[in-house]
Amino acid sequence: MTAALLTCSLTWPRPPLAATPREADIAKAAAQRISFSGPQTRALWQPRLERLGEVALAIELEMVRRKRIPAAVLWTGHDGIGALTERARSIGLDAKPIKASLGYAADWPLEASIDDPKRLLDYAFLIGAAPLDASIAEPAADGLEQAAIRFGYPPCCAKSWADYLRQGGSDPLARLLARGHKTAVPAYVALAVLGLGPIRHGPCAADCSATRDQSRAFLNLGRELGFAEEMSWLDEIADWPVVASLVNGIAEVTTAAFRCTWLSDEDTSPRHGTAATRPAKRVGAAAATVKSADSADILTELGVGFEAAGFENPFAMRSRFSTVVWEQTAALRRAASAVHVGCGDGLLLELISQTKPRLRLYGTEQDAAAAGASRRRLGASLPVLSGPSIEALAALSRLAPDGIDLAFVDPERLDCREALAAVRAIARSVIVIGTDRSLHRHKDMDTLAVTMGLALLPGRAGRVSAALSAPSGRPH
Amino acid sequence: MTVEVRPLGDKCNIKCRYCYQEGIRTAGNVPTRYDLDAIIATLDKLAEPFSLFGGEIMLTRRSDLERLMQLGFDRYGGVGMQTNGTLIEERDIELFRKYHVRIGISIDGPGPLNDARWAGNLPATRRATARIEAAIETLCREGMPPNVIVTLNRMNAAPDRLNVLCAWIGFLGGIGVRKLRLHLLEQDETEAGEGLALTAQENLVALRRLKRFEQELPSVQFDIFAEMAAMLGGDDAQTSCVFHACDPYATRAVVGVESDGRLGNCGRTNKDGVTHMRAGREAFERQLSLYRTPQADGGCQGCRFFLACKGNCPGTAIGGDWRMRSIDCPVWFGLFEDIETELLANGETAISRSERRSDLEAKMIAAWSIGDNPTLHSLIKQAGTP
Ligand code: SF4
Ligand code: SF4
Repeated sequence: MTAALLTCSLTWPRPPLAATPREADIAKAAAQRISFSGPQTRALWQPRLERLGEVALAIELEMVRRKRIPAAVLWTGHDGIGALTERARSIGLDAKPIKASLGYAADWPLEASIDDPKRLLDYAFLIGAAPLDASIAEPAADGLEQAAIRFGYPPCCAKSWADYLRQGGSDPLARLLARGHKTAVPAYVALAVLGLGPIRHGPCAADCSATRDQSRAFLNLGRELGFAEEMSWLDEIADWPVVASLVNGIAEVTTAAFRCTWLSDEDTSPRHGTAATRPAKRVGAAAATVKSADSADILTELGVGFEAAGFENPFAMRSRFSTVVWEQTAALRRAASAVHVGCGDGLLLELISQTKPRLRLYGTEQDAAAAGASRRRLGASLPVLSGPSIEALAALSRLAPDGIDLAFVDPERLDCREALAAVRAIARSVIVIGTDRSLHRHKDMDTLAVTMGLALLPGRAGRVSAALSAPSGRPH
Repeated sequence: MTVEVRPLGDKCNIKCRYCYQEGIRTAGNVPTRYDLDAIIATLDKLAEPFSLFGGEIMLTRRSDLERLMQLGFDRYGGVGMQTNGTLIEERDIELFRKYHVRIGISIDGPGPLNDARWAGNLPATRRATARIEAAIETLCREGMPPNVIVTLNRMNAAPDRLNVLCAWIGFLGGIGVRKLRLHLLEQDETEAGEGLALTAQENLVALRRLKRFEQELPSVQFDIFAEMAAMLGGDDAQTSCVFHACDPYATRAVVGVESDGRLGNCGRTNKDGVTHMRAGREAFERQLSLYRTPQADGGCQGCRFFLACKGNCPGTAIGGDWRMRSIDCPVWFGLFEDIETELLANGETAISRSERRSDLEAKMIAAWSIGDNPTLHSLIKQAGTP
C-alpha cells in the first residue's frame, strides 16, 4: 500500500454518518479484507485499487475545494495526522478531528502502548473550508436529510439514507441487501464500499437512476482532473458480475477478481442478497452407487477363513494380502497368469484381479467350503480347483499346459512335501507369503525361508512375501 | 500454524465422493504446473516447519518431492506429509526414513468400508484401498507408523458397521498405529456424496461408541476427545484449528503455499471453486456475529460451549456459508455435554459451567472486535481461576 492509503482513507458513504459506526469505517474494513482470486488478478488489481483510492481522495478534495460538497471525512491513524493536516492546508482547506475510535490491533505501531492510548486510535477528520462546524457530518436527527443533500445525495437517496440512520443503521450496502432487492446489486454500487467511487453517497436503491447520474459526474470530474486511465478502470469494474449478500450482519461481495467482507449492520432476518453461485455439484462420478451391505455381508466381504489361512483376524488377512500384492507389483506387471495355491476364500486372487484385471487367474483349495466361498467371491469364470494339493495341482497343469507365470503359496499350508515341488514344476516363479502364523514363528521372510529349507532370490525378500530362486536341482 | 505445501493444488488421483476439494476440481481450478523455486522462496520467508499436502502430494515429481523433504529435514528435522496412500511405492519408504517424514494417511476402513473414497469404479476403488492398507502395514513394519484420518460416513460408521470399524481400529493399534483423527463427513460437496452422510444422531452415536472404545484401547488415541476436554478445561495450547476462531479469509491455523508460491487459505473454506488468497488482515466477523445471532438463525447465541467451540470450522458451516455455525453443531454440542459431565464428575472445572463464563466471553468478544485472538488460556490466567 502507498503511504497515502496507509495513513488515511476516505469514508464511505459521505456524511451524514452514523454516530457510532461498528468499525472505524466500512471502506477501511472492506479494503483490508480483500482476498484476491489468484496472483495474476492480485498483480493487476491490487495496485489499481490502491491508485483508485488516491484518485478518489483527490477527486473528493477537489469537490470540496470547488464547494460542490461542504467537506470530506477521512480516517487516519495517529501517525498520519500531520500529513493529512498538511495536505488540507496545501489546498487552502482546514482539517478538524471529529471522532476517534479504537483501531485494529494489527495496525497499532509497534512502539505504541496501552499507556499511550492516542496511538491506538483511528481519528476521523473533517476537511473543508474554515471555519468548520463539526456537526455538519453528524447533524441532529431532523437535519439529516438536508445534510445529505448538501453532501451531494440525490433527494431520493437523501431521504432514504436519513430514514435509515434514524433507525440505527450505518452501512448503505447492508441496507440494500437487507431489503432483499429483487434487482441484483450492480458492481459500481456493491464496490462503492471500498471508498473508491464512482458512488460516494448511500444510494436509495440498487437501480436508482439519480445515483447512476452521480456516478457519471464523478467519472467526468476524474477525467477532467487528468485521471482518464483510472476512470477507465472504474468503467471496467462497473460491468463486473458481482454477488453480494448479507448474512447475520456480515456483508460479503464477491467478484471474479476478489472477494471482500466486513462486519456490517446488525439485522434481524438472517440472510439477504443475491444467491451465492456455487459450482454445480459433481454428478455421476459414482453413478454405480455402492450399496451399503449389512455387517454379516461386510465380514464375508472382508474375508472369511482367516484362522485356517494363518491370520489373527480378517483385517490382518486383508491387510497382508494387500501388502503381498503391493510388494509384488512388478512381478504381477510382467505376468500373464497366476495361481494362489491354497486360496482360501479367494481374497488374494480378488485383490490381484483388481490390480491387473487381464491376468489369467487360478486357485486351488483343499477345503470344500472355502473353495465354495472362493467361487462365490470370484465368479464362475475363475477356476478354483478343489481337493488335496497334489491332485488340484495336477488338474491345474492339465488346465494350463504351458505352465503359470506366478504362484503364490504359503508353504505351511501345503499338505505334503511333494506339493511345493509340484508348484515349482508348474510355475515359472514362486512367491512365498508370510502369514501371521509363520511370521510370528520365524520373525521375517529370510528366517522363514531358511527354516523351511527354501532359497530366496538374493536381495529380493519383501516384508511379507518373497520370490523363491529358480530350482537348482537341489530338492527343497 | 500449519504450513501446507500444495505444489499441485487440489489435484488428486482419486475422487472421494465427499471430498471438500471437489468444488475446486469441479470448477476446473487445478494447477497443472508448479514453480518449485517460488514455493521454496515462500517457505524461506515463512521460516516455519511445513507439511506436504494436496490434493494428492504423491503426484508431485519424486525429485521435487525429495527436494522439499530434504528442505524440511535440513531446517526442521523432518516434514509432515498428508497422503491418500495409493501412490506410495517401495522406493518412497527409504525417502520417508531418510528425511524423517511423518506420514498421515486418509482411509475410512478396510475394503468395502472405504468405498466412499471413490476412485471412479468399484474395482479401482478397491484396488486403491488395498494399496492404502498395504502402505499402512508396510510403514508400520518399517517402524514409521502413520497417523490415520478416518472420515465417518454411512459406508464405515452406519449403525450396522460401527463394530467392524472399531475392530479394524483395534487391528491398526495392534500393528503400531498410535494416532487416529476422526472427521465428520462434509455434507455438501458432491451430488454423488449425498446419502453418504450420517445423520447428526448417527454421528453422535458413532463418536460416543468410539470414545468408549478409545478407553478400551490404550494404544490408540483419537485426538478429538482429548482436545474437546482440553478446550472445556480452558487449555487451548495444543488443540486443533476448529476450536480457534478460524477466519476463512486468513486461516491462521493453516497456511497453504500454492503451486506458484503464493499464500492460500485452508482449502476447506473454498466453497465457490476458487482458491482465494489470504486477505491482508485477519478478522473475526464470524465469531462476533455467531455470538449475537440466535441459534434459530444459524448463530450460537446463548450456547454455553461457545468459548470452547466458537461455532467450529467455517468450512463445515450450514449451507456452505462461512457466516453460519457448523452444520455439525448437534454433534459438537452433544459431545461437549458428555465431556462436561465427565469433567464435573471427576471434580474438574469446565468453562461452560464456570461463573466467569460471561466475563470471559465479554473479554473474548472485545479482543475479536479489534482483530485480536487471544488464547482462552491467557484470558483465564488474567481473570484468575475459572
Ligand atoms: S477452515 Fe476449518 S479446517 Fe481449515 S483452518 Fe479453518 S477451522 Fe481449520
Ligand atoms: S455447540 Fe453449536 S451452538 Fe454451541 S458454539 Fe458450537 S456450533 Fe455454536
